[in-house]
Amino acid sequence: MSSDILSFIIFLPAVVAFGLMLTTKDVNTIRNIAFLTTTVILALVLKIYIEFVPSAGMQFVTNVPWIETYGINYYVGLDGFSLTILMMIAILIPTSYLLLWEGKTKGYWINMLLVQTGVTGTLLSLDVVLFYFFWEVMLLPVFLLIGQYGFGNKVFTTIKVTVYTMVGSLLMFIAILYLGVAYHNEFGQWSFAYDELMKITTIAYEAKVWLFLAFLAAFAIKIPIFPLHTWIMETYKNAPTGAVFLLSSIMAKLGVYAIVRFMIPIFPDIYVEFSTWFVAIGLFGLIYFGIAALMQDDIKRMFAYSSASHLSFISAGIFSLNSYGINGALYLIIAHAIATGALFLLVGLMQEQTGFKTIKDLGGIAKKAPIFTFIFAIMLFANVGLPGTNGFVSELLIIFGIYEFSHTLGYISALTVIIGASYMLWMFQRAILQDRPEGSSELVMRDLKIKEIIGLAPWVILVFIMGIYPEIFMNKFEPTVTHYLNDILHIGAAK
Amino acid sequence: MSEFFYLIPALTILIGAVFIMLMSMYEKFSVKNYITVASIFLFIALGFSISEVANSYSVQPYNDLLNDVLIFDTFANFFNVLLILGTILTLLIGEHYFRHRSYFNGEFFSILLFALFGMMILAHSNELVVAYIALEIASFSVYIMVGYNTEDARRVEAIFKYLVLGSFIGAFYLLGVVLIYGATATTNLTELSTYISTHSGDDMILVYIGLTLILFTFLFKIAAFPFQSWVLDVYRGAPMVITAYMASTFKIAIFSFFLRAILQDIASIINFWDTIISIIIVLTLVIGTWLAISQNMVKRMLAASSIVHTGYLLLAFIALSYKDGHIVNIDSAYAIMFYLIAYLLSALGTFGLASHIISETNVRVTYDDFKGLAHERPFLAAMMTIFLFSLAGIPSTIGFIGKFYVFTEAINAGYTSLTVLAIIATIVSVYYYFRLIAVMYFYPAPLTCSIEGFNDKRVSTYAIAFVAILTVLGGVGSAIVFFIPALNIDTIIGLTQTAVQSLFIK
Repeated sequence: MSSDILSFIIFLPAVVAFGLMLTTKDVNTIRNIAFLTTTVILALVLKIYIEFVPSAGMQFVTNVPWIETYGINYYVGLDGFSLTILMMIAILIPTSYLLLWEGKTKGYWINMLLVQTGVTGTLLSLDVVLFYFFWEVMLLPVFLLIGQYGFGNKVFTTIKVTVYTMVGSLLMFIAILYLGVAYHNEFGQWSFAYDELMKITTIAYEAKVWLFLAFLAAFAIKIPIFPLHTWIMETYKNAPTGAVFLLSSIMAKLGVYAIVRFMIPIFPDIYVEFSTWFVAIGLFGLIYFGIAALMQDDIKRMFAYSSASHLSFISAGIFSLNSYGINGALYLIIAHAIATGALFLLVGLMQEQTGFKTIKDLGGIAKKAPIFTFIFAIMLFANVGLPGTNGFVSELLIIFGIYEFSHTLGYISALTVIIGASYMLWMFQRAILQDRPEGSSELVMRDLKIKEIIGLAPWVILVFIMGIYPEIFMNKFEPTVTHYLNDILHIGAAK
Repeated sequence: MSEFFYLIPALTILIGAVFIMLMSMYEKFSVKNYITVASIFLFIALGFSISEVANSYSVQPYNDLLNDVLIFDTFANFFNVLLILGTILTLLIGEHYFRHRSYFNGEFFSILLFALFGMMILAHSNELVVAYIALEIASFSVYIMVGYNTEDARRVEAIFKYLVLGSFIGAFYLLGVVLIYGATATTNLTELSTYISTHSGDDMILVYIGLTLILFTFLFKIAAFPFQSWVLDVYRGAPMVITAYMASTFKIAIFSFFLRAILQDIASIINFWDTIISIIIVLTLVIGTWLAISQNMVKRMLAASSIVHTGYLLLAFIALSYKDGHIVNIDSAYAIMFYLIAYLLSALGTFGLASHIISETNVRVTYDDFKGLAHERPFLAAMMTIFLFSLAGIPSTIGFIGKFYVFTEAINAGYTSLTVLAIIATIVSVYYYFRLIAVMYFYPAPLTCSIEGFNDKRVSTYAIAFVAILTVLGGVGSAIVFFIPALNIDTIIGLTQTAVQSLFIK
């Protein structure tokens, strides 16, 4: 059982989803069972978290042939990186259910379940073809969610986001095939497992750069890294809250994760060579998106830019080539997923009730909904990186990392954090705290229900625990990062 | 007995065709009876074919009578299974459609079986003239079936275009055969192969010209550039079920013969056509894609996208090459055969499903007509989505695995830039396939098309569901779904390998 537990976690939501699709039409039953499923998964992930041995490399591995002719295996397993993100997904999803509880249809919940299979599968697969399989599959439910439950020009948005991400994925697909063929030519047999592909030595430098860029295209679009970000503004604005939450908190992080898991180990030398560029692009994105966020009036668009800005920061950390940067990036992935996830869900609630979409229409929320404002503020401060919150720890680590990488870039990154603080706090002041001007229409807004508070409570607690006592979490993934960096820099130097 | 055994599937179909022809003299039989009788014959033939599908054999029975013109081997049998299966599914998916059109009568089903008979013989042919006769039996049956739609004025355009162009291109084939005969004094493929291996230089000129002319016929029948223009109008004018039949089954039959000829007999000179084929691939992909995005009618879009799929298949053809006395990259032959299975399922699914949707009174032709289908008939919309995913090559469908093989083999053979082009075509294809899905799911149904009480519990629906299950199973395999030892992707590849290897049994 212990080795199949990952498969169980991956496929349980899909099986439940198909079961529900065929058996019942009652929305409440479906939602309750779906919620139950996610909590079961949370329990199992907790069990894994406790049993996980930080220093032992890949664990809970299942490796069985899927398509033997081409050496494609059903190969799943987890190490410190994936464990951290798995934990994050397992905690985030049930909570998001609590906040999305009311007024959804059958299709909504079934798609939410299917997404969970997609993201967990993506996270845990160690075979590149299997990874590609889940990577594509996780997009399809989101496609349906946006198209069916979105706002505005939703059909155009859906097609745009699908084609956009498909461009990246298919470029990656061809790079995967090329790698497989290169492996076949070198070793005389087929394999697509990432640890096997790392052994390839025969690809010419030129081809390797192209392959690296093809992989990067897929991940950079999902994250998004400047200048491949043009799809997110419209998507975040028109998509339903659930889809925005999934895209920003989970799928974007999987893009970063995939860079760490596949791209860097397979092309360590290219990574080392181009790292300055990517750190610079990351920092540029951070500033660019930050300034763009300052100028937004639509609140969801503002958060879209803010999210992109943070993710650029994360990618700058990843590319900084040292353990501060990567640890910080990983920590920020979690911190950002919690903070942004909560903020998007809260904004979704706010929009549903008030009907206002722009910052200047809002205002006076604090008086009507104090608990809402309180939690909103905590998440906002975590996002900005106030000391005591998890955002602070991670941003500090990344800045250290970048400073160690290059002093100049380090100074710049330290300064940019101010931009983040400014747009967030300015928005908070105008949309939430400020009184409504005389003569404006009445604001309809209820405070959070008890169910929603229970849902958000673990996140709030996590924000502080992670901020005040980071060691307990760091210990789980730090050995992996250290090993990983040693290997990469070693291999990179050898090539 | 043993030799006769191999003939049974083809003979069953022939007897079935004649039997239905006789039946159709009587007024008292309904369309339903014909469908039942035809299915019985088809299932018998399928049973006999499937029983042999995993055996590796190659025989030429009744030498004195057949004079080596027909080969019965695993390869032909593999294609027979596909062809019979394609016909059965066409028949069953079309059940609803046939019964709602007054113009289908007994002869139609007889012709359908004759077409199948022609295709099966084509798969067995080892001689150029026999292949031509088989091809024409199949083609003429299809010409007639294209013209069956008496309610649509476009049928005249469709049948005329197809008949004239098809016969014209048939003349090219005959000219090619004559030239080859002039040089080699034989039309038997095995003897041709011996001739090729013993001659070179000037002796080969006529053979090259002859084979190039035959290649034109091949390109016409599979609708590759520059012979792609008939597809849109013919597919548009034909009854929807026949379009499904042509797009899936008939195309496979064409591939069966040419794949045999290439692998078994002319392998040593195939490199000669590499340049011309790569140009054809580029243009087929570009033009097919351009046609597909510019269509407003779903049927025409699907027809145009079938051109793009032809391009992918040719990509695997070009990956085959010959070096130092043997075929390198024989794996791409498996890829072709796997892709044909994938394409059979997904094309049959989409076209068949489209025909099933329009089989009742409200006609759906343009994208707009598909609006709100998911709300009216959620089950059919879901099935349609599966087939479109498969055509677009989205993982978890058989179309993805098919593309995976074809592209891997193309890269393996060194055609990376062509593969990149094919990937770009795939990206664009995502747009036009997903557009249809978006239309089905994200718009409310138009008011004019009121929600009727559809009775979806019928043979057609089950047949469609069956194809959809195969499409998904073929893409997921059994290892990943909790290790059920059912249909495995490796099993299919194993079958294609046995089939191709049987070509080389001496």
